[in-house]
Amino acid sequence: MPELPELNPVIHGKLRLALLSLLSGVEEAEFTWLRAKTGATDGNLGAQLLKLEEAGYVSVKKRFVQRKPQSLYRMTEAGRTALTEYVQALKQLLGGAIGD
Amino acid sequence: MTAGNEAQELENRLSLIESMIAEGRHTTENWGWVFVLWGVAYYIAILWATLGHTYLAWPVTMTSGVVLTMFIGIRKGRKQPGTSIGRAIAALWMAMGISMLLLFPALGASGRMDPHSFVAVVAAMLGATNAASSVILRWKAQFATAVTWWAAAVASCFGSLLQLLIVFLVAIFFCQIVFGVYAMISEARRRQQGAVHA
Repeated sequence: MPELPELNPVIHGKLRLALLSLLSGVEEAEFTWLRAKTGATDGNLGAQLLKLEEAGYVSVKKRFVQRKPQSLYRMTEAGRTALTEYVQALKQLLGGAIGD
Repeated sequence: MTAGNEAQELENRLSLIESMIAEGRHTTENWGWVFVLWGVAYYIAILWATLGHTYLAWPVTMTSGVVLTMFIGIRKGRKQPGTSIGRAIAALWMAMGISMLLLFPALGASGRMDPHSFVAVVAAMLGATNAASSVILRWKAQFATAVTWWAAAVASCFGSLLQLLIVFLVAIFFCQIVFGVYAMISEARRRQQGAVHA
């Protein structure tokens, strides 16, 4: 069976993987919506989103709605490509595991 | 970690991706309240029209329905992310709504509208829109409402005024009220399942 490190380590984290998958199905999503869907804490969610942003997989747009700050996250093309490649690698590894 | 555990972990990752993508897409399916609201609006318009204010009842009730739908929709949608599916569904219903808001006042003003053709056109348009929406959302229950509207459209071409009224009232009850309540219950159940803890 091939080694796990072949999988993209930025995406492999469970919460980061969940966030990228969620963002792949929507055009853009608010921080509070992502928190509700993942059940993560504010601190953890912010840290993981920052890692994805630093990797260029998500972009963030900050604005004020009725004087309240709002952060809108969107998946970038690089993020979409990385997620697609991750899924392909995952399927290959699983195929290998079944073959073992 | 054994090879078996690793394979299980990888499968869990794949399941997580699938469930999260589905979770994001389900966001667009919170439409139940719209069906109930419009069902009630149709009943109010019919009741008002039977009291003798036909030319006032429908335009006023339908315009109020549009304003109320937009107001509640904007408030409910503020926290929801936009999706291409959501935009497709919204475009579909807006196109149907605009068609009705243009066609019926024009037919009424020209004196070329009779009750049978009015109900037939309303039912056919609602049937077509529900059918297209059900295909986009892969929602069999909504396709059943489309079939019911189409049946009502055909039935409304025949019979007396009383029979026409019964056909329209029954179609509204099943396609708007019953379907809307069913959709709201399904949505509430999904919300109760809670967040998928990643």
